[in-house]
Amino acid sequence: MTRLLLVRIAASLLLSWLVLTGVFFLLHLLPGDPGAAFEDPRVPRAQRERLREIYGLDRPLAVQYGRWLAGIATGEWGYSFSQQRPVGAILGETLPPTLLLSATALAVELTVGFALGMLAAVRAHRFVDHLIRACSLALWSVPAFWFGLLLFLLFAIEWRFFPAGGWREVGSRAGALAAGGDIGWHLVLPALALGLPAGAATARFVRATLLEQLSEPFVTSALARGLSPSRVLWRHALRAGLGPITQVAGLSLAALLSGTLAVEVVFAWPGLGRATYEALVARDYPLLLAGTAVSALAVLAGSFVAETIHAALDPRVRDA
Amino acid sequence: MRSSPLVATLAAGVLLVACGSEPDREAGDRRRVESATGVSISDLSGVNELVASDVRFTTDVLDHLFSQLLSEQADFAEHPPTFAPELASSFEWSPDRKTLTFHLRPDAVWSDGAPITAEDVRFTYEAQTSPEVAWSYSHLKDGLADVEVVDPRTVRYRFRESYAYSLVDANEGKILPRHVWGQIPFARWRESADWFREHLVTSGPFVLAEWRPGQHLVLARNDRFYDRALPKLDRVVFRIVPDAATHVDLLASGAIDFACGLTPSDAKRLAKSPDVRVIAFAFRQYDYIAWNTRRPPFDDPEIRRALTLAIDRQGLVDSLFGGFARIASSPIPSLFWAHDRALAPWPYDPREARSILARQGFADRDGDGIVERAGRPFAFELTTNSSNRLRSDAMVLIQAQLQAIGVAATPRTMEIHSLTERNIAHEFDATLSGWAVDTTLDLKAYFHSSEADGGYNFGDYRNNEVDRLLDATRRAASPEAARPDFERLQRILHAEQPYTFLWEPQRICAVRSDLTDVSPNALSSYFNLPEWRRLRATAGSR
Repeated sequence: MTRLLLVRIAASLLLSWLVLTGVFFLLHLLPGDPGAAFEDPRVPRAQRERLREIYGLDRPLAVQYGRWLAGIATGEWGYSFSQQRPVGAILGETLPPTLLLSATALAVELTVGFALGMLAAVRAHRFVDHLIRACSLALWSVPAFWFGLLLFLLFAIEWRFFPAGGWREVGSRAGALAAGGDIGWHLVLPALALGLPAGAATARFVRATLLEQLSEPFVTSALARGLSPSRVLWRHALRAGLGPITQVAGLSLAALLSGTLAVEVVFAWPGLGRATYEALVARDYPLLLAGTAVSALAVLAGSFVAETIHAALDPRVRDA
Repeated sequence: MRSSPLVATLAAGVLLVACGSEPDREAGDRRRVESATGVSISDLSGVNELVASDVRFTTDVLDHLFSQLLSEQADFAEHPPTFAPELASSFEWSPDRKTLTFHLRPDAVWSDGAPITAEDVRFTYEAQTSPEVAWSYSHLKDGLADVEVVDPRTVRYRFRESYAYSLVDANEGKILPRHVWGQIPFARWRESADWFREHLVTSGPFVLAEWRPGQHLVLARNDRFYDRALPKLDRVVFRIVPDAATHVDLLASGAIDFACGLTPSDAKRLAKSPDVRVIAFAFRQYDYIAWNTRRPPFDDPEIRRALTLAIDRQGLVDSLFGGFARIASSPIPSLFWAHDRALAPWPYDPREARSILARQGFADRDGDGIVERAGRPFAFELTTNSSNRLRSDAMVLIQAQLQAIGVAATPRTMEIHSLTERNIAHEFDATLSGWAVDTTLDLKAYFHSSEADGGYNFGDYRNNEVDRLLDATRRAASPEAARPDFERLQRILHAEQPYTFLWEPQRICAVRSDLTDVSPNALSSYFNLPEWRRLRATAGSR
């Protein structure tokens, strides 16, 4: 297991480097120069060149890449063009809201996904199963931003059950408990917007995996030995199916992290997705690179964790 | 100051948002805190204007945190803009108009109580011209030889030569606090946005009471502002909501009190609401189609004029803007004193357009509906930026109108930075875009031949007389003296149509009806923010 872990860590590091390199060069290949951040007809060319020089954009791309990578290795992400602040400080502010939103959305996804998936599997080919499958397919097909906008218009604007965006109320300076309540209250709609469509997908996957396990000979054998159906479902079928489900959940977290962009924009959630979006609009390359790289690294980390848990659960993977 | 406008009653599942007025309990009196809440798609990009990104919202907010020597007025319909006293109570010119002396108000202090002196003005000039600070508009100070402190209340600007916009240039920029911001060297300014925010003292009618990046900012009354009667509101909140489509819903639901930058369809929707007042006003902006004169047949002024005649601009203004725009006829919008009012826009005349094309050798010889010349069909690509829905819609309608005279235009939308890069490199046929025009009416960047290589003369338009006039308007002794040159310039551009001048869109704001004295203008949507008032005297709940 230790060897496997070491191999996986080494592979993840290599992949991280490849991803960071890919992100850097792909963003620089985009039409439009990073110096576009300073484009303004009222600013003389000489001054635009001076700004490019200050931000190191006049250097050859290879030099810029080397400095960027060296910076990241030492935890230095550079300075944001649009905010004139260290990118690290912006990450420090925007990552916690995004992690909170993603983690809550994951909880929603897993709760909804497991509950509905298992119910559908147990009641396979009956009315409840058909209903769950139809609803989950519909929900899964809806784009997150559209679903988010729908929730926003209905529950925040029309019926006003929840706050209309943001993450804290203006001027709220109360204690930690009240602040937590305030944030939690603002979190409901974006977490549902992000978590429900993902939960619908998970429900379908859980159902399919469980049905596959329930048709395995070891289930028939367990039932034949007189074990109760619920014990067979919980202790045998579910456990056997947990491996692939865990992997999907691990990748889900990563997908949720990178999928927060649209939801954060709709709900004015001050997270990394929104900061990345604004960096793209402003051609703020250091921030854009950091936001994209963190999302990409999150996918890698999610995949690493999922595979490791899968290996811990499944001896066939562990000993391979 | 108590400031918790949201009360959530979980048990009842009801949300009450109390906005507008609330008792100032901390102050211990019964006076009510009058507040208003607005919205912006972008956040404040910093508190130091010399290094903050030049986003309109940032400028709008900083205008009310910091004062300038003088305040430029939006009274430029009949004459160049005038200036009202701000930190300077008066100013005088030397007889040769090369020395300008400002007298500072004796009662002006920073929000920490320190007096605002001539040393602050001198320090600001040093920062504005520092190569390390690299202020984007430092060239505006190129005409200055020096700024001298005469005494704590008197400062003298010495110009290298007298020119039309010397007063505008001298006044450009907010005065910065030397006693605080002078503590860090200029070389560190571009990486110190957080430091400036933590060490913020202001001179305007408001202070920045709270700023949660990406969420909201709160402007509160500056009790040390020299005009004790201002601001009328104690607190102005701006919520940062990047999705502009939701602004109209926030306003209609009462979650916010004012919003600007609305679309004509938003305005139509809000006009039906009795609680909301829509304010549309002329802005110093116009949209155009630039023709790439490097690519025939756009090098021919007659062809460009034919294309203008084929576009029903009034029809487009009516259908797309619903009255919230007017046809443009020149690069100087009609709200400016120098706009040539005798210049009638080219009419919509597709028949004349067809005649011109025929005279220039275009005819539909193969009967496919598209005219050709020397075997080449008249077909081109028309580009615009993808984030502007109105322009995208306009392109489709223009495509149909050009089709009617046998010209095939293919619309294509692009991300704004990619579009600009292609335009600067002259890699386009025709592009639909827009410019906001400064009050100095400096048009050199768009039409001067020296701006064709790497500049914003996208269409590579070249005309020696236009170059001469553009240079002359910059060198004139006074703005008024440049009026004949401005008029001649507009007539040439009208005749040669390097651009088809499309329309001047209005800016649209909307406010809750109980917010009064809101007068946005072509300089800023929040120009008179300190004078805004609330009619309501009692707390409301929404």
